[in-house]
Amino acid sequence: MQVILLGVSHRTAPVELRERLDFSSRDLGAAVEALALRPSAAESVVLSTCNRSEIYVVSTDPARAREEVTAFLSEYHNLPSAAFTPHLFSHDNEAAVRHLFRVAAGLDSIVVGEPQILGQVKDAFQAAAEHHRTGPMLSKLFHWSFLVGKRVRAETGLGEGAVSISFAAVALARKIFGQLTGRRVLVVGAGEISTLTAQHLRTNGVGEILVTSRTSGHADALASSVNGRSIAWDDLAQAVAVADIVITATGSQRPIITRAQIEAVTGRHRRDPLFIIDIAVPRDVEASVGDIEQVFLYNVDDLQTIVQENLSRRTSEVERAEAIVAEELAKYAAWQRSRGAVPTIVALREHFDRIRRSELSRLDGKLSGLPPEARARVEEITRLIVEKLLLEPTEQLKGLPDEETQIAYTEAINRLFRLRESESLSSTVEASAEVTQADRRGK
Amino acid sequence: MNLLPLALYAAAVVVYGIHFAKRQPSVGRAATTLLLLGVLAHTFVIGMQTMEVRHVPFSNTSTAVSSFVWMLALSYLYLEVTTDERAMGVFILPIVVGLLTVPVLYPGVDYRDPVLDSAWFWVHVASLLFAYATFALAAMLGLTYVLQFKEIKKKHLGYFYTRLPSLHVLDAMNSRAVVVGWLFLTIGVVVGIVWTAQARALSPENSNLQAMSLQDPKIFIAVLTWAVYSFSMFARKTLGWTGRRAAWLSALGFVIALLNFIPVSYFVTTSHTFQ
Repeated sequence: MQVILLGVSHRTAPVELRERLDFSSRDLGAAVEALALRPSAAESVVLSTCNRSEIYVVSTDPARAREEVTAFLSEYHNLPSAAFTPHLFSHDNEAAVRHLFRVAAGLDSIVVGEPQILGQVKDAFQAAAEHHRTGPMLSKLFHWSFLVGKRVRAETGLGEGAVSISFAAVALARKIFGQLTGRRVLVVGAGEISTLTAQHLRTNGVGEILVTSRTSGHADALASSVNGRSIAWDDLAQAVAVADIVITATGSQRPIITRAQIEAVTGRHRRDPLFIIDIAVPRDVEASVGDIEQVFLYNVDDLQTIVQENLSRRTSEVERAEAIVAEELAKYAAWQRSRGAVPTIVALREHFDRIRRSELSRLDGKLSGLPPEARARVEEITRLIVEKLLLEPTEQLKGLPDEETQIAYTEAINRLFRLRESESLSSTVEASAEVTQADRRGK
Repeated sequence: MNLLPLALYAAAVVVYGIHFAKRQPSVGRAATTLLLLGVLAHTFVIGMQTMEVRHVPFSNTSTAVSSFVWMLALSYLYLEVTTDERAMGVFILPIVVGLLTVPVLYPGVDYRDPVLDSAWFWVHVASLLFAYATFALAAMLGLTYVLQFKEIKKKHLGYFYTRLPSLHVLDAMNSRAVVVGWLFLTIGVVVGIVWTAQARALSPENSNLQAMSLQDPKIFIAVLTWAVYSFSMFARKTLGWTGRRAAWLSALGFVIALLNFIPVSYFVTTSHTFQ
């Protein structure tokens, strides 16, 4: 059983192609179902975001699985395979695991450490699990990747600090006001960033959002998009006086908010802080407004600087995040090796148990004189002896350091005890559960 | 006696410092655990002293400082548990450690003048010590407010920005601490006046009681402290003195209170020396 990954990402394919191969806009479950019709994949997960479409499958026949996944991509998206195969990347086993861990950690994202990706990986797994397309291999692998994502977020600063102007503005607002619930926002002039910022503030629970613009049509449109209230342009000064957060983005050539204006309405000392985000170029707010005691004035360059600082700080955290990925990859590989030993362990156990039972039945006549409790005791003792004998070899087999050693050991055991490997291969999954239980009893 | 709690508090300062710099949750939990152990050990010490002298030990300055430190540590612990905010520890605990060295270096015996055998006295001292503890919290909240205010105002979002609670939270906690402290300060001063009047009637010869007047430095400065905090509350309400001005006022108030508490108590006052 091998893990095979095929996909396109922002590193290998242009956006036009990624759009054509996107699953996220449509039903992920349907994609998983369609993929299930291909016989080579025992398990499959489809991960799709605007930056990547990746298919993880588990198969005994990697070459055939790759072919079938390519064919699936072509048919599902109605695209000749020649159009995307040059952009397709493929990883097997450890490389595929490593890739998924890096994706979940946010290391493979365009903006390193962006927070959405871990949720998207979880959604992808969830969709596949709901359609019963995940089994022991991908279940373990994806849950492990969630853990990697969580560890990287908790232990490094990879996801820290806003990396867009609108998020930086919201983060600052939260640092000034704490909870934003009930805070009054004033948006002056409509623009892309001011709209985005207002929307982020809305999702952070601000109270009323007032919108004004020289063209009242613009104000109305923006007001309805952020669930706010449009006010007349002439009421600007009054609105500034009652606002906690002001976002300005007009095309005005001269400042529309001046120090004299604010001081005329609120007096020399404002009781509550006022956070002004001036996104306009040329600026809408007189620079000296920032000198008023409780006023925090940020223009677009200030916010851009914060974003740049945050980005470079994230970059400096990449190394620590990669170290966590490497560490977890090693643990995962060790787990997989221990799992590779399972068929041998099961066969060995069955072999020992068969001997135990045949010996017991051979002695059946001699033991028939014993009372039932004593016979049960004998049965129990023989079982315990077998378990004790096998405990240490089982541990050793599970903890073998690399694959080569494992093959050598397995081979040796098979030959020493004349085990037939084929007998137990089919029941790997149940066997692994059985071994764990047996371990627990043995200890 | 106070050596064990002092050692635990000192260890907590170091761990709170590491937590502040590295921001690892596990380190933060270790810091809280050390602080909790320190408070428990300190409680034990104060309990033992109480058993020994058969009254709560805060009649002389050393034992009073120890009790004050205990209240401060306990108040901070309460603040931390209720707000789940550990960043303040690195600012509060140095005060705890600094002040607890005083009773460690001068371990005075808590001898008590029979004049002090009154419930009024107990209320007087306990209220004032608790008031000072909340003022210490307020001052440190104010200090951190100012540090972070500067960073946001000057647009250099740096060390404190990423570590401290929001300005609003710091300001609100500062305001609350000042109100609570002022309340206990008022109770302490009023009870002191009432009890002095009563005690004078009972023992007119006592020199300490004779020295109780506004001219006594200890009493004068206590009243001054009360005036500073009263003004701070008034200014916040009517003049809109929130934020930085409130922060500076609470820092000023605490400096005055601290001067009164230690140097004045040891060296200057003639009224509050019941030895």
